[in-house]
Amino acid sequence: MEFLEWFMPTVWFVILALFLLLYVILDGFDLGVGILSLTSPSESQRTILMTSLGNVWDANETWLVLMGGALFGAFPLAYGTILKALYGPIYLMILGLILRAVAFEFRENATNKRPWNLMFGIGSVLAAGSQGICLGTVLSGIPTDAAGHFTGSVWIWVNPSSLVVALTLIQGYVLIGSTYLILKTSGELQRLHVRTARLAAATTLGGALLITFTAPFASETLRQRLFDPAFLPFFVVLPLLGVALIVQLFRSLAMQQEVWPFAYTVLLFILSFAGLGVMVFPAVIPPSVTIFQASSSVSSMVFMLTFIGVLIPIMLFYNIYNYIAFRGKASAE
Amino acid sequence: MPCPVRSRLSLTRCLLMLATLDVVTLSRLQFALTAIFHMLWPVLSTGLAIYLVVLEAIWLRTRNPLYYRQARFWAKLYVLNFGIGVASGLPMEFQFGTNWAPLSEFAGDFFGSVLGFEGAMAFMLEAGFLGIMLFGWQKVPPVIHFLSTVMVAFGANLSVFWILSANSWLQTPSGGTFSDGHFHVQNYFAAINNPFMVRSVIHMALATVETSMLVVAAISAWSLMRQKAPEFFLFSFKLALVILLAVAPLQILAGHESAVQVAEHQPTKLAAIEALWDDQAAGSSPAWTVLASPDEASGSNRWSLSVPGAFSWILETRPQLSQPLRGLNSWPADQRPHMVGLLFYAFRVMVAIGLAAAALMALSLLLWWRGGLSAASFAQWPWFSWAWILSAPAGYLAIESGWVVRCVGRQPWTVYGQLRTADAASVLPVGEVLTSLSVFAVLYTVLLVFALYFGSRIIAKGPNLTLEPPGLAAPVILPDRSGNV
Repeated sequence: MEFLEWFMPTVWFVILALFLLLYVILDGFDLGVGILSLTSPSESQRTILMTSLGNVWDANETWLVLMGGALFGAFPLAYGTILKALYGPIYLMILGLILRAVAFEFRENATNKRPWNLMFGIGSVLAAGSQGICLGTVLSGIPTDAAGHFTGSVWIWVNPSSLVVALTLIQGYVLIGSTYLILKTSGELQRLHVRTARLAAATTLGGALLITFTAPFASETLRQRLFDPAFLPFFVVLPLLGVALIVQLFRSLAMQQEVWPFAYTVLLFILSFAGLGVMVFPAVIPPSVTIFQASSSVSSMVFMLTFIGVLIPIMLFYNIYNYIAFRGKASAE
Repeated sequence: MPCPVRSRLSLTRCLLMLATLDVVTLSRLQFALTAIFHMLWPVLSTGLAIYLVVLEAIWLRTRNPLYYRQARFWAKLYVLNFGIGVASGLPMEFQFGTNWAPLSEFAGDFFGSVLGFEGAMAFMLEAGFLGIMLFGWQKVPPVIHFLSTVMVAFGANLSVFWILSANSWLQTPSGGTFSDGHFHVQNYFAAINNPFMVRSVIHMALATVETSMLVVAAISAWSLMRQKAPEFFLFSFKLALVILLAVAPLQILAGHESAVQVAEHQPTKLAAIEALWDDQAAGSSPAWTVLASPDEASGSNRWSLSVPGAFSWILETRPQLSQPLRGLNSWPADQRPHMVGLLFYAFRVMVAIGLAAAALMALSLLLWWRGGLSAASFAQWPWFSWAWILSAPAGYLAIESGWVVRCVGRQPWTVYGQLRTADAASVLPVGEVLTSLSVFAVLYTVLLVFALYFGSRIIAKGPNLTLEPPGLAAPVILPDRSGNV
C-alpha cells in the first residue's frame, strides 16, 4: 500500500502533465492560428486559416476539459485551491475560449465576417494570455495555509512576472501556429508564415530567457531547486538540447522546410514543459503542497486509472486518425 | 430570477440588488445562469446526432441523394449548435473549482473522477469524430464516415450518462461513507449506479431526443407552411414524427417513474412540487392540486384548484396512499426547499408541455392515418403548423423546468442530506463573483440572440437540393421532383 501511495499520485501527475502538454501543443497552434488570423491580408486567406482548424479545434480544446476533470478527480484539493486563486484569469480564459468558439461558428454563417474575425482573434489572444497568467502565477507560488487552502489576495495574478509569462506564451502560441500553417498552406500564405515564425521564434526565445533568468529571483523554492546538485544534470542537459533545437528551428525556417519547423517547435514545447516539470515536481500547488498531500484516495486514483488509462491510447489513436484523414494543404472551399 | 431588464433604470436597480446579495447566492445564481444557458445546446448535440445516424443509415442503404442532402442540411444546424455547447460547457466544469471549492474537496474523489470519465469517454469521442462527420465526406470511405457519425452520437449520449450519474449522486449519494468533511468511496459502481441514476439517465436521454425531434418537426412545419422544399421537409417531418411517437409515451412513463422515485428518496422535493403543506396519512385519498398560490409565510396555499382524491391515482395509480406523505410544514425551515411556487409551477410546465406535445403527435398521426397529412396541409392549416413550430421552444422550456425542479428542489443541500449549499460554496469576494456573473449575463444574452439569428438564416436559406453525394464517378443528374427551392 505504501508503494501505491507514492506511485499513484506520481502516475496521475504524469498523466496530468501529458494532458496539459497535449493541450498546450494542440490548442496552442489553434490559438496561435487564431491570433495570426488578425493579420491575414485577405478574407480568402483567412478562410484557409479557419479551414485548417475546422476539423480539429474542438477535439484540441477537449484536452483542457480532460485536464480539468483529471485534476478534479486526482487532486481535488489542488483543483479547489488553484482555481479559486486564479478566479480572474480562469474566467478571462473561459471568456476568450467562448468568444473564439462562437466567432468561429458565426463567421461561417455571416455575410459580414469582420466583427467575427475580430472576435475570433481577440478571443484567441485573451485565452492565450490568461493561460500564461495562470501558468506564471502557479510557478511563482500560491500561498496556502496548513490545510492547503488559498490564503492570498484576489489580485495575486497581477504582477510583472505573470505578465512576462503571458506575453511569452502568446509568442510561443504564435510560433507553433505559424509553423502549423507552414505545414498546412502553400505559396504566398506559407511565405508569410515563415516570416511570422521567424519573428515569433525570436520573441519567444527572448521571453523564455527572461523568465529563466528572473525566476530564481522571484521564488525561493525555484532558487533552491536550481542549485540542488541532484537536479544539476537536468539543468545542464535541458538548456543544451534547447539551444540545439533553436538552432535547428532557425535553420529549417531558412531552408523553407515544411514539416521540420513544426516538429522542432513541438520538441521545444516538450522540452520547456519537461523543464517546468522538473522545477515543480512533486508540488501540485507550488511551492508547498505536494501531490501526496493533495491527492484523492488511492482507490479513487486506481479506479480512475483503470478507466482513463485504457482510454488514453484509444483517444490518441482516433485523434491521430483525424489528422491523417485531413492531411495535406488546407483549402478555402 | 425576477430581474426587470426592460429599461436601463431598472437594470441598474437590478445590479444594485445583486450587489447586496451574499456570495453563496451569487455563486448559485451564476451556476443557475450558466447551467440554464449551457443546457440549451447539448439537447441537439445529443438528440439530433441520433437523427443524423438514422438519416445516414437510410442514405447508405438506399443511396438516394435526398437522404444525403437531409444529413447535410441538419448537420449545418448541428455544428452551429455544437460549438456553443462546447464553449458554454467550460464554465460548468471550472466553476466547481472556482466557486465550489469546498464541494470539490468534499466529493472530488468521486465527483471529479466522473467528470474526468465524461471528458475521456464521451466528450473526446464526440469531438474527435465530429471533424470527420462534418468535413470528411470526401476524405474517408462512407463506412468510416458512418462510423464517425455513430461515434459522435454515442459520445454525446455517454455524456448524458456520466453527467446524469454525477448529478444523481448529488441527489441520492451512495457507494461510500461520509466522515471528517469528505466522501470516502467504498464501491464505485454503487456510487455511479446510485438510486436515481438509471431513471434520470433515461428521462434525460429521452428528453434530448424528444426536444430535438420537436425542433426538426418545427423547422419542417415552418418550411412546409411556406411551401419551401416541400418534398424534403415532408420527409424530415414524417421521420421526426415517427421517432416522436416512439419516444413521447416512453417519456411520460419515465417522468412518472422519476416522480415516484422522488417521493421515495426526496420527500421534501415531492412536497414542494405538489405544494403539499400538511402530512397525509397512509390510506387517505388527498386531493391533487392543479393550480395554487403557495404562501410560505403561512405554510399554506392562498387559493388552490384541486381534483379531489386524485393524488394517489397520479402518484401510485391506486385510490389510497400506501405510504404516509410528509407535508412541508413538518420539516424545519432549514431542512426543506424554499421557492415553493417556482418548484410547483416549473413541474407543472414540464408535465403540461410533455402531455400537450404527445397530444399534438397523436393528432398528427391520426391525420397521417386518414391520408390527410401532405405538404399542402401545413399551408392549409396555419394553426397546425404553428402548433408544431411552438412545440420546439416548448420542448426546451420543459427541459429547463425539469432541471429547475431537480436542482432547486434538492435545496438546501448540494449533496442531499450531507453537504449544505451554504457550506459547498467558496468564500470569495462579492465583487469577484458579481463581475463574472454580470459578464456571463450580458455575454449569454448576446450569444443567444446571434445563435437564433444565424440558425434562422440557415433555415430560411433551406437545404441545397442539388448537392451531389460523394463517391460518384460521374455526377448523375436526378430529376428534381420537388420543383422549387
